[in-house]
Amino acid sequence: MHIDGLGEGRGADSLGERRRARWLPAAAGVAALALLASACSSSHGSSGSATSAHTATVTIDLTPQGCAPKPAKITAGAVQFNVSNTNASAVSEAELRTSNLAKILGEQENLTPGLSGGFSLDLQPGTYKINCPGASQQHWNLTVTGKASGATWQNNAQLAAAVSSYGSYVDQNTASLISHTQTFCQAINAGNMAQAEVLYPKARVYYERIEPVAEVWGSLDTEIDGRWENPVTVASQFIGFHKIEQLIWADNTLAGTPKLCSALVGHEQQLLTLVRSAQYNPLEMASGATDLINEAATSKISGEEERYSNTDLPVFQANVDGAMEIVSLLQPYLQHKDPSLLSQIRQRDAAVATLLAKYKASPGYDDTGYVEYSTVLGPQRRQLSTAVNALAESLSKLSLQVSS
Amino acid sequence: MHETERPGPTERAAPAERTAPAEGAAPAGHAAPAEHAAPAERAAPAGHAAPAERAGPSRRRLLAGAGAAGAGVLAGGLAGYFTGQGSEAAATDASDQKIPFYGTHQAGIATPAQDRLAFGSLNAVTGATAADIRDLLHAWTKAAAHMTAGRLVGQDTQPYAPPVDTGEAVGSPVSRLTITIGYGPSLFDHRFGLAGRKPSALAQLPPLPNENLDPDYTGGDLCIQACSDDPLVAFHAVRNMARIGMGVVEHNWMELGFGRTSTTTGSQPTPRNLLGFKDGTRNIKAEQASLMNDYVWVGRETDQPWLRGGSYLVARKIRIFVENWDRDYLQDQENIIGRAKVSGAPLSGGKEFTTPDFAAVGSDGQPSIPAHAHIRLASFEHNGGTRILRRGYSFTDGIDPQAGTLLGGLFFIAFMKNPAQFVRLQQSLAADALNEYIHHTGSAVFACPPGLHPGQDWGTSLFA
Repeated sequence: MHIDGLGEGRGADSLGERRRARWLPAAAGVAALALLASACSSSHGSSGSATSAHTATVTIDLTPQGCAPKPAKITAGAVQFNVSNTNASAVSEAELRTSNLAKILGEQENLTPGLSGGFSLDLQPGTYKINCPGASQQHWNLTVTGKASGATWQNNAQLAAAVSSYGSYVDQNTASLISHTQTFCQAINAGNMAQAEVLYPKARVYYERIEPVAEVWGSLDTEIDGRWENPVTVASQFIGFHKIEQLIWADNTLAGTPKLCSALVGHEQQLLTLVRSAQYNPLEMASGATDLINEAATSKISGEEERYSNTDLPVFQANVDGAMEIVSLLQPYLQHKDPSLLSQIRQRDAAVATLLAKYKASPGYDDTGYVEYSTVLGPQRRQLSTAVNALAESLSKLSLQVSS
Repeated sequence: MHETERPGPTERAAPAERTAPAEGAAPAGHAAPAEHAAPAERAAPAGHAAPAERAGPSRRRLLAGAGAAGAGVLAGGLAGYFTGQGSEAAATDASDQKIPFYGTHQAGIATPAQDRLAFGSLNAVTGATAADIRDLLHAWTKAAAHMTAGRLVGQDTQPYAPPVDTGEAVGSPVSRLTITIGYGPSLFDHRFGLAGRKPSALAQLPPLPNENLDPDYTGGDLCIQACSDDPLVAFHAVRNMARIGMGVVEHNWMELGFGRTSTTTGSQPTPRNLLGFKDGTRNIKAEQASLMNDYVWVGRETDQPWLRGGSYLVARKIRIFVENWDRDYLQDQENIIGRAKVSGAPLSGGKEFTTPDFAAVGSDGQPSIPAHAHIRLASFEHNGGTRILRRGYSFTDGIDPQAGTLLGGLFFIAFMKNPAQFVRLQQSLAADALNEYIHHTGSAVFACPPGLHPGQDWGTSLFA
């Protein structure tokens, strides 16, 4: 349940800021897939009413000694965790983790004495740990018995490997985003605008490869990548990459950018913390690939994403790279599942690459390897748009293939 | 503006109008000069009542019967928009139905939403005077009364004069044409001496989430909302009113809408927008008189008594990135909206009109209607009870020449007691999952005056 689990655990305020809820938590994703069939048969109303009857409840009381789940053994399915803290001043959170403690599946934070909260998710059979830092016994076992709810992607080695590798890809790109942004900030702090102009697009590409993941945490996406119009047109909330871009290219100044850049790195570090504990599923990956190309088709073709710097081409390339990385990770599965779709995606990606290659230059505008986007004229943008829309259309067929 | 002097009885259409038993309730032989009011308007008792207070079915029966009779009388004649089409057709469709122009409220707000829209935003030209605006509003009143009654703007008898009516709607049934006008905040600036008449609630909207407004589709001194089931009839109304205003006002922008996206009465089936979802299921319905008074009609709270019985119109041009939307898988589309696509039922279960249960939780422990679902964030439950009356239309401006994608979406129109209602809702939608697929590109707000009674006109009322 990862992604949404974190959101819930962080409290209602963060929920209010999150823009997107498509990336279902990994565990809940299994249940969501089962609903797809009923949605297709248009008896969707049943999905809403199908439910809470089977929810198991686990009560956790945070004490100085620990966080024993009651009961400690439940059957697989929907589980509601109710967490309360009556008198444990040194303990303020309970996490549900995988048995090896590597991943947080759900959590409730910030419970000072007198407060209660909770989280919920679908659990498959297996052993889990309840973790409560600060207690004399920090780790507690939770056993889930019964049958797995239908065939799951976890049982498919190719899909499981793809999901695992994608987690690493996101982690690596986020880490690179931070290091390249820090270099960018150093140029800014040194007052070297020419250097900053070159380093800006170099940092941006790491974000643009994984943007659909980052968008899950809506407030962070706005803080890192928000444009002035989206989602809130309030000057004080326009911070991050594009505010710095505006100052450098439109206002020709570095005044104010050191502080903005430092805050940007801080938000990126928050993002890294979140993605490192996030879990994904194949459906999220598939729709994420489509989202990336939609991004390219909508905000890069128009030039609005990098409207001040005109460095749209490298981030366009980054969107495509991020999408095609997902395809590559899913390729072992798709080769058997739908080779003709895979082939069509590869062909359409090649068509995009051929068009993009026309605008490659060395060293290129601001050392990006590409020409300045403002020199790409209307009919040329139309060609790019047509090709990239065709690619997105093919990618949109992945969601069904990885879900059935 | 010479139409204002044109005597009604000289109009070719007038005789047929006056003698038509079509007008149902019209006493036979009530040969009042059309100058003041067509018998249709004068005699129809319903014409003076607030549309909201009338039951839909009875009016539909009345008008359907009138239509059938009218078609018989008018067959073969040159009678405004009326054609001599078969009476069986007339008896079953709404094409010759008229919506009374006069009444407590302007038509086109609570009256049943027609299928088509023509919307004009106009600005006063440099040098226009208060007298020009007053005379224009007087002329517009007359033209609107004529056109909504199925008549031409004026009759053409002079071979060496340009036709008074542009003519494209000759032969087209009136198709429930309504013409609604409104005044933008800028009309009340220093130019026309109207600053003291400006309602305090009438102001440009503040910056709102997910908007990147195109100045070419923003604001306006005046607006004309023409709705009809026939696109030509709606367009004809705006075209002719803009033409009447030549020299005083000019078009700021214009939009044509196809496919209504909301119902305004309980008798209408819920239409769909370009997302493919039913839109307006929970809209205020005209029959809900107390909601209309609480949320739509300006009442005693206004600081400008002339606006009582009127309403504020907020127009938003919302582009939908339909190509991206069409690629999203069904379940995600439904999660974004919060409803099932085909049935329109909320994801908390039930049927289309089942009240959404925003507290319902699914088997995965997540809210059945997701936290960022459009219907959750737009709901009155989520907004301190705030409601508005939506009356929007799908639109398209063709294809983006640069991207090859559709320039189209929702031309959102809503009526409300105070524009702050829209602002509150739109601010809530900052977190709307749908924002990934839409973008607001145009915006305007207008104060729509109350309805007129025969003998009154918009100009005199505004400048009184």
